[in-house]
Amino acid sequence: MNLAIPDYRQLSPAVAARFERIRQRPVILSIQDLEKKFGTDGATHTAFDNVSLDIHRREFICVIGPSGCGKSTLIRIVAGLDEATGGAVLLDGHAVTGPGPDRGMVFQGYTLFPWLTVRANVMFGLEMRGKDTTTAESEAREWLDMVGLGKFEHAYPHELSGGMKQRVAIARALANEPRILIMDEPFAALDAQTRCQMQSYLLQIWKKVDVTILFITHDLEEAAYLADRIVVMGANPGRVVEFIENPVPRPRSAAQFLTAEYLSLKARLEELIHPPTETGEEDRLPMVKLTNVGDDVE
Amino acid sequence: MAHRDWLGLKMELPRKRRLLLTLLSFLAPVVLWSAVSYVPWLWHPLVRITAQGDVDYFAEDMDVPRADFDRELAKTRAAGTTPPEGHRVNPLYLPAPHEVARAFYTAFTTEPRLPNEPWLHESLGHSIRTIFWGFVLSSLVGVPLGILCGSYRFFSRLQEPFIEFFRYLPAPAFGALCVAILGIDDGPKIAIIFIGTFFQQVLVIGNTVRKVDPALIEAAQTLGASRWRLVRRVIIPASITDIYTDMRILLGWAWTYLIVAEVVGTMSGITYFINQQARYRNFDNVYAAIMMIGIIGFSTDLILAWLGTVLFPWKRKTRTASGRPSLWSRLRPKPIPA
Repeated sequence: MNLAIPDYRQLSPAVAARFERIRQRPVILSIQDLEKKFGTDGATHTAFDNVSLDIHRREFICVIGPSGCGKSTLIRIVAGLDEATGGAVLLDGHAVTGPGPDRGMVFQGYTLFPWLTVRANVMFGLEMRGKDTTTAESEAREWLDMVGLGKFEHAYPHELSGGMKQRVAIARALANEPRILIMDEPFAALDAQTRCQMQSYLLQIWKKVDVTILFITHDLEEAAYLADRIVVMGANPGRVVEFIENPVPRPRSAAQFLTAEYLSLKARLEELIHPPTETGEEDRLPMVKLTNVGDDVE
Repeated sequence: MAHRDWLGLKMELPRKRRLLLTLLSFLAPVVLWSAVSYVPWLWHPLVRITAQGDVDYFAEDMDVPRADFDRELAKTRAAGTTPPEGHRVNPLYLPAPHEVARAFYTAFTTEPRLPNEPWLHESLGHSIRTIFWGFVLSSLVGVPLGILCGSYRFFSRLQEPFIEFFRYLPAPAFGALCVAILGIDDGPKIAIIFIGTFFQQVLVIGNTVRKVDPALIEAAQTLGASRWRLVRRVIIPASITDIYTDMRILLGWAWTYLIVAEVVGTMSGITYFINQQARYRNFDNVYAAIMMIGIIGFSTDLILAWLGTVLFPWKRKTRTASGRPSLWSRLRPKPIPA
């Protein structure tokens, strides 16, 4: 079976034109030949190598791959929380050496500061950058209004639902007006319904704010719904398998889930991430037969 | 289900039952104590002589073992002389509940026997002062040092191995040394409490601070916090509630060092009171004084727990991972609605 994304340049000239325009924009973040090895001398384990990627302004990039492909390590290096063993990460042409407010981060776990109210959480970064309290307060309120949580400014994080917490975390990261927003499986811990809602919120926010997004996920549909470009990584060792320009036109909606673009994209992603085994069979557990009970079931 | 079952494994009991059981936990020992005190045939191993009769070595108000009394009684009966009279009592060291209850009041109102002896409230005040200064001095150094050790590997490596060793040296062993250095008054007592508290404090608080979720620190770093501000704005507030709980537990330990500390140098405070009263054989006062230590300690802890809910509003809904309220949160008063 040979699945391929239909040539969207013919399917949808508008989409092709959009990618052409994106390529004209300045590069915000440049990952060059990045490599990460763990361990010392003898027994080294390569998390990934040969990863290169240019992210353009206001682009929405999703990195997808099976567990163990090093995608989390990759963005921890971009965020400055980890160090690469080779290559470089350039933000606006300057090498990244440590964590900083120019790269906002939203984590998978809830990392709001539990001792601060929702508003004080959003104010945290503003205060770190030396803004006075009054300015920080009014700016924080604006960001909370934007994620639709203005009413909850005095609540404590433990009083919010998981989805609300992540919206505050997004507001907190965006309040610093970062060049790029890094999101590490931010919705993975949410239930399916909330996750869909959050994806739609994120697109709305992205539309309103001048920000570039680097988004890690292991959910194919999430990547297909959100991304401009999808970076597909493979494991053992971690590497980039393919760059896919997402053919699904914007604005995105649930109505697109049955379009040819969406389905062919999804099929291609499936093929890359869950490649068929050599025998053509799916992975089977070596099972011992215990009873005949299931024999008449297919 | 939980409502029907008193013994549901790990199942929370309804509020009424919880209260009832709490009450019972205090009531049961009191009932047992009352039974032993008031029901004559349960124990009462002695006989208090009320009339000497013709036994020479008996005297009024003397307590003799029951066997002796019975033997003398039989002897006098056989000889036809006047038998001794008496009633069964418990030993002096086990006063009845009402006697101890009365002592709670009379211990405060009884004038000391010796002119220089302190009143009970003065003794208690002295003990509380000793604990206070020992604990405060220890915390002034121990808490910052613990936070440094928990935050920076540098300080942890530099301090903790030695403290780990020192903590095994029993505080009372330093008694003689403390007296030699600090004299015989309050100095060495405060020093003993300091030694008993300080080393545990640094290690316990260092550990608590190390347990701060690293994700919170990373989140703060991506928001532009670094170095000292990371400690001040993230590590300290993230661990402050746990440090507070540690401090409450450590304060309890400090109380256990009190009695040892008060024997060092000139005996003082509640220990002196207890010793004197035991010497006078006022065991009701001894029990009352011991219980008073418990009451002061326990009520201090309850007050500190309540203060915690005021100080740390984000912890008001504290639940343990299992969804059960933690031990301390159950002792806390209800949260104040916002």
